[in-house]
Amino acid sequence: MPHTSRWSIPRRTFLRGAGVAVALPWLEAMGSPVKAAELTNPADALEAGKYAPVRFGCLFFPNGVWKDAWIPKQAGRDFELPDSLQPLTNLKEHVTILSQLDKRHSHEGDGHYAKTANFLTGLRVEKTTGKNISTGGVSLDQYMARQVGHLTPLPSLELGIDPVISGIDSNVGYTRLYGSHISWQTAERPVAKEINPRTVFDRLMNVQQAGKNRGQAASSRDADRKSLLDFAMSDARRLRQQLGRDDQFKLDEYLDSVRAVEKRIEFFTQPDPRVWHPETPQAEMEAPGAPRDYQEHVRLMIDLMILAFQTDSTRVSSFMFANDVSGHNFSFVDGVRGSHHELSHHEGKPEKIEQYQKINRWHVSQFSRMLERMSQIREGESTLLDNSMILLGCGMADGNAHQPDNLPIVVGGHAGGRFAGGQHIASKPRTPLCNLYVSMLDGMGCPVNQFGDSTGPIQEVFSA
Amino acid sequence: MRCIDFDDFCNNRMLMTFSQACLRREVISQPCRLHLWMLIVGFGLFTSMTHAADPVAFDRDAKPYLKKYCFSCHDDKKMEGELNLAVYKEPQRVLESLPKWETIIQRVKAKEMPPEGSPQPSEEEFQRFLSWYGTLPRPENECRNLATDATQNFYQGYVMSRRLTRAEYANSVRDLFNYDFQILPRIPADGAGGEGFDTNGSSLFTSAILAEKYLDVATDVASQLLPENLREQPATMKPGEGSPSTNPLETARHKLLAHWPGAGLTPREAARLNLEPFVKRAYRRPIHKEDLEPLLALFDQASQRGDPFPQAMRLPLMAILISPHFLFLAEPEPSQEGVHALPPYPLASRLSYFLWSSLPDDELLQLAESGQLLQDDVLKAQVRRMLADPRVRGLGENFGMQWLGLSQFGETTRPDAKLFPEFDRDLLEAMRQESIETLTEVFRKNRSLRDLLVADYVFVNDRLAEHYGLPKPGSNTMVQVSLTDDQKYRGGLVTQGAVMVHTSYPFRTSPVLRGRWVLEEVLGSKVPPPPPGVPPLPEHDPNAPPLSLRERLEKHRQDPACAACHNRMDPLGFGLENFDVLGRFRTTEAGLAIDASGKLPSGENFSGPAEMKQILLKRKGEFLRNLTKKMLGYALGRGLNKFDQCVIKETLEALKSHDDKSGVLVEQIVLSYPFRHRYTKK
Repeated sequence: MPHTSRWSIPRRTFLRGAGVAVALPWLEAMGSPVKAAELTNPADALEAGKYAPVRFGCLFFPNGVWKDAWIPKQAGRDFELPDSLQPLTNLKEHVTILSQLDKRHSHEGDGHYAKTANFLTGLRVEKTTGKNISTGGVSLDQYMARQVGHLTPLPSLELGIDPVISGIDSNVGYTRLYGSHISWQTAERPVAKEINPRTVFDRLMNVQQAGKNRGQAASSRDADRKSLLDFAMSDARRLRQQLGRDDQFKLDEYLDSVRAVEKRIEFFTQPDPRVWHPETPQAEMEAPGAPRDYQEHVRLMIDLMILAFQTDSTRVSSFMFANDVSGHNFSFVDGVRGSHHELSHHEGKPEKIEQYQKINRWHVSQFSRMLERMSQIREGESTLLDNSMILLGCGMADGNAHQPDNLPIVVGGHAGGRFAGGQHIASKPRTPLCNLYVSMLDGMGCPVNQFGDSTGPIQEVFSA
Repeated sequence: MRCIDFDDFCNNRMLMTFSQACLRREVISQPCRLHLWMLIVGFGLFTSMTHAADPVAFDRDAKPYLKKYCFSCHDDKKMEGELNLAVYKEPQRVLESLPKWETIIQRVKAKEMPPEGSPQPSEEEFQRFLSWYGTLPRPENECRNLATDATQNFYQGYVMSRRLTRAEYANSVRDLFNYDFQILPRIPADGAGGEGFDTNGSSLFTSAILAEKYLDVATDVASQLLPENLREQPATMKPGEGSPSTNPLETARHKLLAHWPGAGLTPREAARLNLEPFVKRAYRRPIHKEDLEPLLALFDQASQRGDPFPQAMRLPLMAILISPHFLFLAEPEPSQEGVHALPPYPLASRLSYFLWSSLPDDELLQLAESGQLLQDDVLKAQVRRMLADPRVRGLGENFGMQWLGLSQFGETTRPDAKLFPEFDRDLLEAMRQESIETLTEVFRKNRSLRDLLVADYVFVNDRLAEHYGLPKPGSNTMVQVSLTDDQKYRGGLVTQGAVMVHTSYPFRTSPVLRGRWVLEEVLGSKVPPPPPGVPPLPEHDPNAPPLSLRERLEKHRQDPACAACHNRMDPLGFGLENFDVLGRFRTTEAGLAIDASGKLPSGENFSGPAEMKQILLKRKGEFLRNLTKKMLGYALGRGLNKFDQCVIKETLEALKSHDDKSGVLVEQIVLSYPFRHRYTKK
């Protein structure tokens, strides 16, 4: 197996003495800048450059699953893939199926919104049609981006298919934008997702181009942009002083956004913080046109996520197959006639369940295709898949009943050898989903003692 | 300045805060100030004037009714639909939650509650209950009451400074240069909040993607207006003169380059003269040195590295387009807490973004400069002028389509492409335009708002007319076409193509979705989501004779738990069954005759869409209340609270006495207290 425990030595070196709530990141082996002073054994640091960093991707799908066809009957390493997970047959060794995970804070609140917005925060979604929007905390991906985002040109990449849903749901009392965001920079601030594949592609190409020109004098375009951003920030600071307290927060968002763009430009004018470099920095993807249909759109966005990971343009990315309560027509799947949300309310009828299940399976097949492709991308002695953690899941279990417990969760990849894979972990009922996130943060090299409503890590995911 | 009438204050704390605010600011004119002192002296009198509801009538006509017919579902144990009526032990509590009671009474009046299958009140009990509610004393002149921090919700008059929405940004760039750069599709959509609109400040976020896009758009606009090959001042142009060109881009360019260096003008001075009017319009306020200097510094930077004059104008131009002064509807606050009248410039912006989804034009800015905009009659005249302007389409498109839930029409959910290959881009776009035109027309022409329910005209182009089976008007763009008597099933919003498509599943129509749409979006009623564990819709056995959708739904309604809502929704939806998934008129489906009749809980019967719309017309009170509420929420960019109810009430009264004219609705909102004031919280 490619994922032998090559991490053991540097990890021990780095976690020595680390017992605080947020342990010091053990980034040396993750391709981060290594300061000799931080190392107990500088030789490890030299060694470290050999290893690729860990990437985290999240693929969120809406409307739940038909559980009977999703949860394997047996736990442990010896299990059969149920119907919906069948597309993972060839990748069984590389995936971890998790069951009995729960989001405690999603048990209150009708409908989908309290279950989607906090998929990666695990905390309480404020019931509001607009005022005091909150998901309780930062999302897993954005937390990771805070820790490792400075090491790559793009701190993170948020992708999706649908524009933000407009309107409010006055019946359940939530703004629909909760159903459109899983990435939250702070509890109060969602991160806009990019839905146009061409824009993402262009952005990744720009990053590559800039990487090639690193160290050269900034192009006049970049210099102009920097002057403009400086102008915008100083204008914003001036305006901010004239505004009321609450309004200042809105200006702060603007300031943060402008600063983020500036940082992106600056990334290439400064020395590369990375020790490790991908072997194939050149992208192998054609510039995408406007997607013809939903399937192509999904495929392109997933390919772009792979491209971003492969070129080390970012190490953190999230993708929403659709906004929640999505009504995408799934008739392109054989034997399905209807839209996703409509069929997820199957009312216990066999012919609807069958179609619902086929839609679930289609999502798994997209995930499977992604893992397959990542397993073919070499990174030294390992593959991109070995060095990644790709989370596939949804914030509710059965779409008909809107249950938030026993969530459908699969993790692909080995987190650079840290995750064993090839097993179904059936936790105790109502184990917090955030326990998995604690383990994933460990896998990412940003160990924490607590995340969201976690009560501890899920030890079983790790390699022996 | 409009003077505030103090006689209606009955809340001591309210008064104190307000009086402090008045006395330390120029909010209140001199006579008012005197008035205020008089008021404070005589304050003791007012508190005793607080209305008290009659407990006898409540105990006699309301309490037993609630107990007998409502508590079985809505007491403190069951609280179905999150409604607990057991808390209303005395009439005062009812007065405290009037908005909620409006809904309760509405449902009772329509005989939707108590639902079929539950014990029903006698006609006498019913009438007595309603007349008890009707005679409840209500506070008068509520609109003059102010909220403070101490009252339940300090957000009265509090409108958040916010960034422009996607549409507002695109329109503003367009109107700044009088040229449409087609930037809308490049900007990501915004979420919504408050009353369901993207203008809601607290749900408008800014992220790095957006900052990047603003920068990209600015770069594009600058290079189109000031292209690389542009070198010399065109020979036909003299400094300061406009261009005779009919090419709008060129006109914009000439306007931007009205001044060139030479003839005693340094490049920097020429740049300043060129930029000034644009900065003023873009920032929607008077311009100061601190605004211009940083822009000119950018011009200098470009000049110094050798950019020729027109190209050196690019950087400052781009800077304007990404400046927070342009991107944010910022309403600077005075240093002291309290409510203050909005100064003229921010008022001009509120007005133009409400009616045009775009920046104020020169006339508005001039009226702001002179301060005249604060006068009621000037404001009214501006509302009339602006509603007649083509830019009012911004209201039809952004307010109208969001109100109806159609702003993302056809984007993610649409009819199945195999079953309905005729539903292509052109048809989708024509349907969208039909809805926008219908909404815009009513405001543009000051028509009766009833036209939105029943009208004897539609907007179609050739493609849509053909699709609807109407004579082609001979136009690719939307034109207004009169309907004959036998085409009266069309006309108004409810039966439009966009609505029919939007409320269908990919493969079939859904009377439930359509009925719910009419109830929620048009009448403003709430329809709770189905409870978990809903019994399945009886499926049709392939060997048995086919059941129509109506027959299956009727079976479903035999369960009283379902009947409460479906009795309200389904009949309205059945009235629309004459329209297929694509909104075409039909009389049969799969060989079965369409039965488009319905019976509402009120006992009213109808057959077909034309009669159904007449029923809606009878319920125009609900419709107008909903529309007013939605529009006020859109205009203010925040969710409404109980203090806003008085604006709604006054608006509805004004509509009643003015033939439901659309202009009255807009005027009432613009003149309203919350629209013209701002709350500053420290």
